[in-house]
Amino acid sequence: MFEICAEPRSLEGLTWLSCYLTTPKHAAMYYSILTVLGLLLAVVPPILFLGFAGALARRSKIAPVRWLGVGYTSIVRGVPDIVFFLFFPIALDQAVEYIRHKIKCADVLEPVYQGNDFVVCQAAKMPLGIADQFYHEAWGFSLAVITFAIVFGAFTANTLHGALNAVPKGQLETARAFGMSERQTFWRVHMPQMWVYALPGLSNLWMILIKATPLLFLLGVKDIVYWAKELGGMKTQVYTYAHPDWRIWYFGALLVFYLFLTWVSQRAFDRIFARASRGLSVAS
Amino acid sequence: MLQVLFQGLHRNTAILDQLLTDTTGPAETPVIELRNIHKSYGDLEVIKGVDLTAHKGDVIALIGSSGSGKSTLLRCVNLLETAQQGDIVISGEPVSWSHETANRSPKDADQVRRFRTNLSMVFQQFNLWSHLSVLQNVTEAPVTVLGRDRADAEAFGRALLEKVGIADKADMYPSQLSGGQQQRAAIARALAMEPSAMLFDEPTSALDPETEAEVVTVIRELAAEGRTMLLVTHDMKMAREVANHVIFLHQGVIEEQGTPDQVFKQTKSTRLQQFLSSTQ
Ligand SMILES: Nc1ncnc2c1ncn2[C@@H]1O[C@H](COP(=O)(O)OP(=O)(O)O)[C@@H](O)[C@H]1O
Ligand SMILES: [Mg+2]
Repeated sequence: MFEICAEPRSLEGLTWLSCYLTTPKHAAMYYSILTVLGLLLAVVPPILFLGFAGALARRSKIAPVRWLGVGYTSIVRGVPDIVFFLFFPIALDQAVEYIRHKIKCADVLEPVYQGNDFVVCQAAKMPLGIADQFYHEAWGFSLAVITFAIVFGAFTANTLHGALNAVPKGQLETARAFGMSERQTFWRVHMPQMWVYALPGLSNLWMILIKATPLLFLLGVKDIVYWAKELGGMKTQVYTYAHPDWRIWYFGALLVFYLFLTWVSQRAFDRIFARASRGLSVAS
Repeated sequence: MLQVLFQGLHRNTAILDQLLTDTTGPAETPVIELRNIHKSYGDLEVIKGVDLTAHKGDVIALIGSSGSGKSTLLRCVNLLETAQQGDIVISGEPVSWSHETANRSPKDADQVRRFRTNLSMVFQQFNLWSHLSVLQNVTEAPVTVLGRDRADAEAFGRALLEKVGIADKADMYPSQLSGGQQQRAAIARALAMEPSAMLFDEPTSALDPETEAEVVTVIRELAAEGRTMLLVTHDMKMAREVANHVIFLHQGVIEEQGTPDQVFKQTKSTRLQQFLSSTQ
């Protein structure tokens, strides 16, 4: 990075450290912070979408739709998250490749499942073997987003379902008594009043989501925890460093990073809650 | 040519005939007309054949002990509950039902909405929308349901809040108001719909005696203005003062009815006598 870093031997003390912390490997670690933040931002819309879909499905008048909602929330909630994080990306990856294989390589006669191996033709690989590294990472990241969305969508559905039920029936009945349609009742009264019951649960989920981002590692995305472990160690897969075991410092920095993230979130949620609960006596 | 002239003449006389019969014919169509209403919850029959007619300007008080079906009857009128049997006619227009069996339901959602906007309800527990300010509560349905212009609705809303004596609370939330103020806000909200009749379900029962008086005053004023009202109440004094017709409901049937004098002073049925002495 810096000019002076060109000749490591001439450096001492903190100067050396400043050079050390600006190596390309460290840049990769800093970049992984963006990966974590990017993931957090990217998963919110699909999580909310699945959450609402699940919650509304559970309230549906049509029985099969209701079963779907109940099935989704209870299956995902009943399985350890880590199992899902192991299962989903592989299942999703293989499903996509299997379908592409069937379409693109219809002439290949060998079965896809050969003993213990899952073999698809080159053209079906996701992304293509020859594709840029960027596409490989983007594909991994997308799988991560989908998996996070499915898992956290189920918890969100549950929270929203409870919140929708918590709105006093009299409030909704009054809306109908004044001639509002079901749609108007939902958007004008039910939704605005639902948030105040949903927010405590949602803020909790958000915190859990932040703390679950290191699971990215399981999905092969090199996140901040991976880099802290790699760069803090004395001798790792990545490199042999000229410093003792510094993992404690790296992990300490992680601790501060996550604490900061959750602290900022908590403050934001407090504000949103104050806004949503204006006029509602539950706020006090 | 002659024929056309003749037809025109004929049509005109037909209209004239109709105009004549209208003025000399039967009295104005009732605002609310119930005929032989039955309502059950499962096996429990709560309303057992009730007839009721409210003409324009009528104030009808519904009295009766708790559980006699007063609320249920009121909720059948604006179709929050579905009466399994009987006719409901609002300003001459009968409710059209999906079919004529016990599990019937109103067929026409537009009609239901139209009737409900025409029959504003005031609830015992006020039920002001808690996420909206007092003024927003008053303008919400006129704007979203009746499609009124927001500025007009606000001006009218402020005037109504002035009328019920809480103009200074317009921008507060319901939870910041006393019970009596909330109920007056709820009455302003009902008035904002410019309904042809108002339905009150024990509007003063959740209030302490002091704030109760504020609400009674408002209701008395509305009655004096000639508004059509169905008033379920425990307050016999208010019933006597504001109503021109009192109905005593007992276990889902009308046990006795008449003018306040007839019902309260020349009580016929022993059940009503017992009920009245228990409320003294
Ligand atoms: N939603 C309901 N489901 C079942 N029973 C009900 C329901 N609402 C009212 N009831 C019953 O109907 C009867 C009349 O109730 P209600 O009309 O509220 O009486 P009132 O208003 O005169 O006190 C009571 O026995 C009550 O328990
Ligand atoms: Mg009642």
